[in-house]
This record gives sequence, C-alpha cells and structure tokens, in this order.
Amino acid sequence: MSRINDVGGMVGFPAIVEEPDEPAFHADWEAHVVALNGAMLRRGVYNLDEFRDAIERIPPEEYLAASYYEKWFRAITTLLAEKGIATPEELAGA
Amino acid sequence: MSGEHASSPVAAQVRHVEALLEERGWLAPGEVDERIDAFAAGGSPAHGAAIVARAWTDPGYRERLLADGNAAIAELGYSMGGALQEQKLTVMANGPDEHHVVVCTLCSCYPIALLGPSPGWYKSEAYRSRVVRDPRGVLREFGVELPATTRITVWDASAESRYLVLPRRPDGTDGLGEEELAGLVTRKGLIGTALV
Amino acid sequence: MPDRFVAGDRVRTRIADPPGHTRLPRYARGARGEIVATAGHHPLADERARGLGSAPRAVYHVRFPASELFGDGEHAVVVELWEDYLEPDGSRS
Repeated sequence: MSRINDVGGMVGFPAIVEEPDEPAFHADWEAHVVALNGAMLRRGVYNLDEFRDAIERIPPEEYLAASYYEKWFRAITTLLAEKGIATPEELAGA
Repeated sequence: MSGEHASSPVAAQVRHVEALLEERGWLAPGEVDERIDAFAAGGSPAHGAAIVARAWTDPGYRERLLADGNAAIAELGYSMGGALQEQKLTVMANGPDEHHVVVCTLCSCYPIALLGPSPGWYKSEAYRSRVVRDPRGVLREFGVELPATTRITVWDASAESRYLVLPRRPDGTDGLGEEELAGLVTRKGLIGTALV
Repeated sequence: MPDRFVAGDRVRTRIADPPGHTRLPRYARGARGEIVATAGHHPLADERARGLGSAPRAVYHVRFPASELFGDGEHAVVVELWEDYLEPDGSRS
C-alpha cells in the first residue's frame, strides 16, 4: 500500500538543510541502534525487508515526527515483539 | 528534532533493550561495541574519491568502472560487501551534457561501503520527495546551476543496486596527481548534488 | 527461467496497490518506460518482507521520462524494478 515512506514526487516538505561537519551519529544511542540492528539481521531474527516493512508501518504522524534512528529503534522493537523474542511490556521495561 | 541528546528517554530505552537481548543470549557481551567500531572503520567518502581520481587519470580504469563497478573497485581494494551481501555497484559518468543524481525515495539506500554513513539531508523527506520531481530545482538549492541543455537523470535506489556518480574532472587540473585530484572530490559530488 | 525482458524493451509498470511492503514507488506506477539493463537476480522484496521464501528473479534498471511520471519535466528517472512489477508495453507512445 502507499505508505508514508513512499514520498517520491510529493510536495510540501521543507527546504533541504545541510548540516556542516555532520557527525555520523548525533548521540551514542544512535550508533547502538545501528549495531543492534546489524546483530539481529546477521542472526536472522528478521531480514532487511521485514525491517523496512516495520519502519513503513509506523503511523504517519509518528513517522514524520520521529528522527531517523528513532524510527529504526521503533521498528526493531516492533519486530522483536512480533518474532517472540520479548513481549512489548518487557521491551518497554514495564 | 527529538532524540539528539544522550540523556533522552530513547537512550535509556535502547540501553534497556540491549541489556534484555544480552540477558537472553541474542547479543553476545561486547558485540554491540565491536559492531560500532567496525562501522566507524568502514566506508568513507575518501574511498569514493580515490576511485574517481583513478578514473580521471586512467581511461582504461574509467571504462572498467563504468562497465562493472564491483570488479573495478576491487582493483583498488574496495568492495560493496559491507552489508549482509555484496551489493551491485553501478557508476554513472557525468559529461558535458549529462548529469546524474542519486536518491532513495522509499528509504535511504546508499553506498555505505564506499561513502560511509549518509548525510542527514540525503535521508530527509525534503530531498527524497523533491529530487525525482524537480532535480534542477533541488540542485539549485545546493548551489548547482546546470545549463538548460544538460540532460539530468535521477537514479532511485529502489532495489539491490547502489549508485555512485563519476563527476567531471575540473578544468585546469592537468598538473595534479591522483592524490591531489582525490582531494577535490566531495561526498556531494559522488551523490550528484555537487559538480565535483 | 529466462529473464522476461532485455535492454531496449518497452515496459509498463503495474498499477495495483499491493497490500504490504513493495519497492515500486507510487510515483512510478502505471508508467511506461524502457529497460536500460538487467541489474541482477534477487528474491522479491514484497515476499521477503512477509517472511516468505522467494526465488531470485530479474531486476532491471528502467528509465522513465519525467513527463511520463509527472506530466511534465525534461529529466529522466531510472528506477530499479523487479520483473514482477513490469509488463510488456504494447501501446505506442
């Protein structure tokens, strides 16, 4: 289905902003999210297309409000729950 | 934008999930740190720049690079194998009447193995939405004004290939060696949002 | 199975809006283009995203004039598409 990630050709997004001397990550946790995802993919907990699918399933208003790696982390926890690795409550630390 | 600070709630959530996965044996102790180090030591725009400089100085190499990107970058010790599997590399050469620019409209596919992590603007909805529709306008936002006669091709990385732009060698650089030439090449030049 | 298309073939992308993950961007649906090259063989992303086994099949670089995608524009867009997304274009432009 046409999901919120499928933005090619849309109008209305703001001007393109370049960040001078942009670091690879803006916080340590972002690097941890990338590493975590790489580990799950290599272990075959989920595949890359399932990961992309999980990002695309984020509700549009949350997708647009979240930072890039926040979307990644949300997709990872969605998949960990769906794959039965942990319950949503366990993942949330409740 | 949220989540930019180490003290943010998401940082604590990431730590929590990581600990949970370690506890259950889905992550080995130290594995995350090893991966972070490996990622930091991976691709860099310097790799892409070295490839371009070789193509500028060696016509035979340029031909091989355009015909089979993966084989040609292997000659210089690079590979597209940074991800789970080797990705196909397609290299497009800019010319006097032709300009190429790369995007991933559906997510953020990018030749990380050669260029390192992608810049934020490349991943932004603003860039992804507009460059396929109005590449000339987007290039203008980057300060690139192309002649009206230049044909522009936008490459949407929608499947398994990754793309690299081979910029035109700037005029007046005949006396420069390969290393100096590589120093002229920018990450944006390799994506196509700068001339070099 | 042999590839369905070769470079130079004229194709039309499918119009259908699939129920889940797909790699045919919305802006390139129902559009007529030309095969530039075969870009390898890969399992279909739509099927892998559902955790299904999927046989490798041809993926192509397909060139579209901007006017075909958006109604105007002088540029071209090359989209990389699985052959499942394509059908032969019998029509004349």
